[in-house]
Amino acid sequence: MTDTEAPGSKPSLLPHEEPLPPRWDLYIAAAFLALGLAIMAGALAMPTFYDRMQQIYTAPGLVPGVYGAIIALLSLWLALRAVARGGAKKPKTEPRKAVEGNSNFRLFLAVLLCMIYCVVLIGRLPFWLATTIFIAGFIVVFEWQAGMAPAVRVKSAAQAVAIGLVTGVSVLLLFEKLFLVRLP
Amino acid sequence: MQILDSFSQFLAAFPQFLGPWQMFNIFWAMLLGIVIGALPGLTATMGVALMTTLTFSMPHQQAIMVLICIYVGAIYGGSRSAILLNIPGTPASAASTLDGYPLARQGKAGRAMGISTSGSWLGTFFGILCVALLTPVLAEVALTFQSYEFFWIALYGIIIAGTLSGGDPLKGYIAGFFGLWISTIGQEQYYNYARFAYGSTDLAGGIGLLPALVGSFGMAEVLMAMRGPAVKAVSSKLDSIIPRIRDVTRYWRTIIRSSVIGVWIGILPGLGEDAAAWSSYAAAKRASKEKEKFGKGSIEGLMAAETGEASSVPGAIIPVLTLAVPGSAPAAVLMAAMMIHDINPGPMLMVTTPQFFYEIVAMLVIADMVKLFYGFVLVRPLLKILLVPRERLMPIVFVFCVVGAYSITSRVFDIYVMLFFGFLGFVLRELKFPMAPMILGLVLGDIFEQNFTRGLVISSGSMMPFFTRPICAVMAVLTFLTVFLSIPGVQEFGKGWLRRLIRRAPA
Repeated sequence: MTDTEAPGSKPSLLPHEEPLPPRWDLYIAAAFLALGLAIMAGALAMPTFYDRMQQIYTAPGLVPGVYGAIIALLSLWLALRAVARGGAKKPKTEPRKAVEGNSNFRLFLAVLLCMIYCVVLIGRLPFWLATTIFIAGFIVVFEWQAGMAPAVRVKSAAQAVAIGLVTGVSVLLLFEKLFLVRLP
Repeated sequence: MQILDSFSQFLAAFPQFLGPWQMFNIFWAMLLGIVIGALPGLTATMGVALMTTLTFSMPHQQAIMVLICIYVGAIYGGSRSAILLNIPGTPASAASTLDGYPLARQGKAGRAMGISTSGSWLGTFFGILCVALLTPVLAEVALTFQSYEFFWIALYGIIIAGTLSGGDPLKGYIAGFFGLWISTIGQEQYYNYARFAYGSTDLAGGIGLLPALVGSFGMAEVLMAMRGPAVKAVSSKLDSIIPRIRDVTRYWRTIIRSSVIGVWIGILPGLGEDAAAWSSYAAAKRASKEKEKFGKGSIEGLMAAETGEASSVPGAIIPVLTLAVPGSAPAAVLMAAMMIHDINPGPMLMVTTPQFFYEIVAMLVIADMVKLFYGFVLVRPLLKILLVPRERLMPIVFVFCVVGAYSITSRVFDIYVMLFFGFLGFVLRELKFPMAPMILGLVLGDIFEQNFTRGLVISSGSMMPFFTRPICAVMAVLTFLTVFLSIPGVQEFGKGWLRRLIRRAPA
């Protein structure tokens, strides 16, 4: 909730409260229907071990198969509801407006940096060094602004390295030495 | 005599938490909890999930104590940013912004925090009383339950979480069953057959509950914070933060009502503190003589929201201790932590390790007192922490997510599980799926499957006992009714039918 909203208005409780357009629900239903059917197929392909216990109630595929069937049924319900709400028709309204201030580019950068840290840096470098590089890189990338004075840029980068180093070393000391937690 | 015995056992549980090292842990954990709760984007569930893995090597009493402090602190901390900055630190404190921030704008930020502190302290205290009084009774009842009843409790938990955790109930159910399915990945209990593993030894070992939770809360929240707009803080001037006795005595009815609502919603599976805060706020508004003040800086409204959310924290622990069904998302993680520390929550807890029940009550009392202490001292330093830019905070949070995912089993695979669930949690949130039912599905998966298959084996495949035993019949009706009423139009049809019936009745 920002200061622009009226104090008496109810802020959105959680992000999932506003419904998606029906067409989106149709796609989601299709994806979950495929998942449910795939789970059922996987469950049916599992052995029942009937010869060992002389019953099928302990068969490994029974419970996941039931879950798969329920997911498929619920997806059909979602699909029918989406169709009833006009999801199958060509949408007349304009495409969904992006939430103000949301940035998919920032999201992409964050995902990329997190992936580099987990897949490339960890395991190849000592933990404290990998963490320092990740945190410093993350801060530098996200604080980078076109037209920044070189002195401000250097200061920001130096602070980023310092935060990364302090975090990397303190996590190492605190968790590995004090709490005896194993680090990657 | 039994009450005296219980009381002496309860008193005996305290000293082990009052040593210098233990107190040190309690104070830093509560401070960390309040900071996590106050920082927008970091939630109580994430805090408890991260600290579960990082306190893994501690003795179990210490680890659970730290987690309870984080839980209690995070729910309280959210109101600090709600009042001072007009930003709910956690979803639970969204209701507190309605009256907390207007109070702050009127130059009464200190008074608002005093109300928050006193309401939260009293709410948690009432909740603790309910834990102490209700848990033994419910556990006694739960001891008579068999697989059939536990099957229905687990199913009802997922259904009610799907229905009431906000948004679209249908997506809530899908999320719940999706979580249940994920819990089936890996070796099953009867034949050690690796389900959905496709030759991978890592998948055969199963999906670790905590890496999945750390991913779907920690990493997903990092991604959401980085994608979303920067939070604009609106700071306020501070007056005295000391709670006023008059604020408490004047609204004692509201405090009691909100506490009862909070505990009740806490007990209901998967609903949690945000539902408790909103319900208490709505009930207070309905009953208030000063309705017009609500939303414009009502002391009663803020007191109701704070008391309700705080009392739901102990309330959510009651079903964990008695039925092994968590009352909220953070309580689900707390339950997972208990399992990791070889404490088996559920009806047998009072039989096998009754001292743990008294320890939990003692932990909650200590956490509530330390929260009160921080309520008096922690205002200005917190303001500075709240204004740390997300670009500097979120990479540090992500490092903790990675360490947390890895530390329990030392498998690099668990880091990938965390990453996967991070993306999944982010995408599902964007597609408007509530997360609480998925978590409940993950946590309750084993209980659900074991009791379902055991029930079928005992009854030689007959489904009848699942419907004919008295408690099962009630639970079955409740479950079907909950699903039925969530179908669009059914509620309106039902209300119209009832209205027509009432009109005809006098004739």
